[in-house]
Amino acid sequence: MGELPLFAYGGGWGDELLRGFGLTIALSVVAFGLGTALGLATALGELSKLKPLSRVLQGYGAVIRSLPELLIIFLLYFGGSLALQALLAPLGVEGYVEVSAFWAGAIALAIIQGAYASEVFRGAIIAVPRGLVEAAASLGLKRWIIFVRVTLPIASRFAFPGLCNLWMVVIKNTSLVSAVGLEDLIGAAGTAGENTKHYFTFYFAVLVAYLLLSGLTMATQSRAQSRLFSYAEAGRGA
Amino acid sequence: MIMDLQTLVGVVPDLLEGTLVTLQLVAFVLVIGFLIALPVALARNANLRPLRAFGAGFIFVFRGAPVLVLLYLVYYGLPQFAWIRQSAAWVLLREPYVCAVVALSLNSAGYAAEILAGAFRAVPRGEVEAAMAVGMSRFHVFRSVIAPQAARLALRGYGNEVVFVIKGTAVVSMVTIIDLMGAANAVYFNTYDPFTPLLAAGVIYLAMVAVLTRAVGWLERAMWPELRAAAPAIGKAVAG
Repeated sequence: MGELPLFAYGGGWGDELLRGFGLTIALSVVAFGLGTALGLATALGELSKLKPLSRVLQGYGAVIRSLPELLIIFLLYFGGSLALQALLAPLGVEGYVEVSAFWAGAIALAIIQGAYASEVFRGAIIAVPRGLVEAAASLGLKRWIIFVRVTLPIASRFAFPGLCNLWMVVIKNTSLVSAVGLEDLIGAAGTAGENTKHYFTFYFAVLVAYLLLSGLTMATQSRAQSRLFSYAEAGRGA
Repeated sequence: MIMDLQTLVGVVPDLLEGTLVTLQLVAFVLVIGFLIALPVALARNANLRPLRAFGAGFIFVFRGAPVLVLLYLVYYGLPQFAWIRQSAAWVLLREPYVCAVVALSLNSAGYAAEILAGAFRAVPRGEVEAAMAVGMSRFHVFRSVIAPQAARLALRGYGNEVVFVIKGTAVVSMVTIIDLMGAANAVYFNTYDPFTPLLAAGVIYLAMVAVLTRAVGWLERAMWPELRAAAPAIGKAVAG
């Protein structure tokens, strides 16, 4: 194992990689959180009776799902810098303003996650049995209480497997933010590889880290799912 | 200013050239990805445990890894080994284009294998048994009973996978290939105008995906005649 000292903490590249891993996780959590909220709001808008709103939101989803993730990241990072410059110029701030790669990436990935999550939520909300909502309405509950107490808890169960898939997609997409200079896991491995010429070693370690995250997600998902759907399995019989 | 007409007119030829590179890559990746995915899917459904484990492992690795990691492993990683640099394959592997095709094909094969394996499993068991009962050979059963039905069942999932391949090819711009994404980036670095080239490239990506979605819809109607017939029948039943 001649390659092991390369991963030493401090003297090797262990600390840089660990910091990169932390950034990858932080970026995933922020993008997933913002994007899932955006997806839920979009799904509600798509299902609303306001036709123009519903059309516009469906258009947002269809367009974003057709564009390469990298293009959206570049657009937000390069375009964001330019837009910020234009906004700050009247305030007397001159010269080149750069947006942070982390936040440009987080917002780009959240927009992408929102486009996919809206599909998941729309399907889940439609799948909630109509009778339950009508029963709640017949008790005189307000519409938003019905949504929070009846529709959402049931819909989130239906949405759970889809959201787990999307969580893995978000983790994988964070690697693309290294293209605009973020020293996330893959960015740190690139720096380490450049300095030591042991590219394969470092990128292989990155691959293993991603596979561990993916395996961990799958294991957590199957455990949580059997608990979430325990009522259904008991009733289903065969 | 979001779109600059002068820049736009200037970049169109570059972007179209990049589009050709992207389309060519997509074609290579889909063909090679399918050729890898088919045996993997068969292994995934095999009765032999080691074969099944190989199929499942392949799918887990190549679906779980970001495509950028695979690309960098092949492009930057493989030259770390002297024996690769001295091997006959080096003539190919030192080309960024070949590295991109290898990495993207493996990634696509992971997804395609899962889609195909699911479609094979969804073919009704009774039909396979019936075909064997009339004395068809295993190959004959596969060709005449399993494959045609699996093709129909896999169509929608495979169509989505093609969309992901089109979008996924954009990462090749990270290893010096001037595809559509790379062409748009080159214009940005020359003009410092990100909006015109990136939005124009976005429109081209949208058009590619839209054409593909149409084509899949058309194929679906062609391959599922009972859907065409069933839809009005249900309408009539409800109306009557």
